[in-house]
Amino acid sequence: MSKTLHLSDSPAPLVVTGAGGWLGRALSSHIVANAQSLGISRYVALVRTNEEKKLLEAELVGISTVKSDIRLCDVTSTDAINSVLVDLNPDNESSFDLIHTAGIIHPKKIQDLYQVNEVGTRNIMKFALDHHARKVVHVSSNSPFGNNPHSKDLFRSIEPFNPYMAYGESKMRGEIAVQEAVSQGLHAVIVRPPWFYGPFQPPRQTTFFSMVKAGRFPVFGDGSQHRSMVFIDNLVDGVFRARQWTGEPGKGWWIADQTPYRVSEIVSLVGQALRDEGHDVKTNRLRIPNIVGSFAETADALIQKTGRYVQQVHVLGEMNKTIACDISASTSELGYIPQTSLYEGMRQSIRWCAEQGNEL
Amino acid sequence: MTISLVTGGNGYFGSLLVDRLLNEGHHVRVLDISLSTDRRADIEYIQGDIRNQSVVQQVVQKADFVFNNVAQVPLAKDRTLLRTVNIDGTKILLDSCLSAGVQKVVHTSSSAIFGVPTSNPVFPDTPAHPLEAYGQAKWEAEILCTQAIANGLDVSIIRPRTILGHGRLGIFGILFDWIADGADPFVLGNGNNRYQFIHAEDLADICWRASQSLGPNIFNAGTDRFGTMREALEELCLHAGTGSRVRSLPARPTSLAMQVAAKLHIAPFAPYHWIMYSKSMWFDVSHAHDILDWSPRWSNSDMFKQSYDWFLQNRAESNNADASHHRRTARQGALGLVKRATKLLPR
Repeated sequence: MSKTLHLSDSPAPLVVTGAGGWLGRALSSHIVANAQSLGISRYVALVRTNEEKKLLEAELVGISTVKSDIRLCDVTSTDAINSVLVDLNPDNESSFDLIHTAGIIHPKKIQDLYQVNEVGTRNIMKFALDHHARKVVHVSSNSPFGNNPHSKDLFRSIEPFNPYMAYGESKMRGEIAVQEAVSQGLHAVIVRPPWFYGPFQPPRQTTFFSMVKAGRFPVFGDGSQHRSMVFIDNLVDGVFRARQWTGEPGKGWWIADQTPYRVSEIVSLVGQALRDEGHDVKTNRLRIPNIVGSFAETADALIQKTGRYVQQVHVLGEMNKTIACDISASTSELGYIPQTSLYEGMRQSIRWCAEQGNEL
Repeated sequence: MTISLVTGGNGYFGSLLVDRLLNEGHHVRVLDISLSTDRRADIEYIQGDIRNQSVVQQVVQKADFVFNNVAQVPLAKDRTLLRTVNIDGTKILLDSCLSAGVQKVVHTSSSAIFGVPTSNPVFPDTPAHPLEAYGQAKWEAEILCTQAIANGLDVSIIRPRTILGHGRLGIFGILFDWIADGADPFVLGNGNNRYQFIHAEDLADICWRASQSLGPNIFNAGTDRFGTMREALEELCLHAGTGSRVRSLPARPTSLAMQVAAKLHIAPFAPYHWIMYSKSMWFDVSHAHDILDWSPRWSNSDMFKQSYDWFLQNRAESNNADASHHRRTARQGALGLVKRATKLLPR
């Protein structure tokens, strides 16, 4: 049974952390273009660097339908948060909503994961609690839950924590920080996207297309591992549906496509999307035995123990895992139904890369 | 014609691998920091440093297969060289191979990445635990290989146990010299540690087979017929028939003495020697057998005998200062005195 509130009836300011990131930029574009229907009276975007600020300003110019300002804020500092958002709810009488997307997945050093994903989340939740936020949506990940023990298994909306490596641990601690704030009275909920893709993607995702195009994307074994995926527009939709949740706080939902895909199916479908966008695609030939994945996983763990992080080793160590989720609770409780298919989403992503001048 | 690049192709194992590739009908290109004067007309030689990006980018052009055998071995005792050659050089090579569209890279690593294993046998996905600078550098080179795989390069890693075979000298040159002259070789402790070697021909065979196997992989390589260190040396002494017999030395004090001698530069020991000489280590090679249909031809005993016989036949040239570390006998230093002292021991 859906318990949603039509927030357009009671507009409020909205703060988005990590607004200069991949998801943050997609959310920002959606917010400023649809503020009225989303019930947003004012938009405050928090970004980490000046470069992000300039980029976001350029992206939002001309499409904004609401008073927006983009502010530099380091979420790892409570002082910075309090000072940057001092005008948001000074008398604690009005209210605001907050979407917390700020996070780091591929850090320079492991400590950064905890600093941003755990400490940053705790700081933001404390601010939201202290300043009587109306609704908070925290964007988490599949990593606090590890990977599925069987290729046919699906994560349900309630799962025990089983974090994968330091990133999973840091995102788990972030979720725990949210739950602690909920127990103190904050109306916060959690959305958990698995592998997402789409416009605003960082360079590593462009590399993904390039590798598929060159027939060199590493597929483990027979490619029968399953992966849930979500197009970024579908994820944005899921985030706003979670914001409208008026039921029990502290709940978490998977936001993904209806069913997971075999990795071999993803590679083949992306290859088809590339061909249909006019690219010459070679047959994928890079089959990798699981022993290489197993080596990469243990190497990743050993590297992370020393506080270092090597992105490719981490990604390879995780590539032979099934990470799949069941979205039935998101559909029944939030009314979430993914609108863009994997094929169509991939075509849009490829076009976006072309528009940015990214050579595949 | 298939073009194969062998980096370090003028070293001990590299030159044997070159022979194998020529036999397979490849056009062979050799990159080595030093080249011997007796060059063959059917090999394309390039003298250069693996750390020189422009040279490496040039030599990988149009190569179908690249066999990376450049290594700064522990005997060199130069930590900067150890890291820059084994790590930086590997990175430059892998990046160049990716850009040039090389079909397959076969990277020769080392069993030193495992240090002293907590249990045997060691499998391809046993976690690495290097204990000294050489093992650490070779492990970091494997990490680079893993990164290259994630970036779409087809790289197979081969980790050989200690290599023997005709022409193999280095620290073994000293052992053979002692036994040839009737001096007594030593084991640490009772010498009952199980120790596996690999013949260079078997290693060349697995490298070749790995190059023909589509997709990245990791193979541990060693003979499947081996016993203890004491057994290996006793059989060799028997084969030599010079009256040498294997003596036991207390493991800890001897390891300490080896470290001190190395520190004082009076004996050619490297950390890997005093760490591993008394320890057991062997690979399970069924993975290589299953995937590559590879079976080692040489047992520990046979390869020791063959290496020793080669030494006897080529003893006069075994101190050639221009050869690579494993193609010349290491300088004995203080071990020369120890060798003479063993002759005073009661028979």
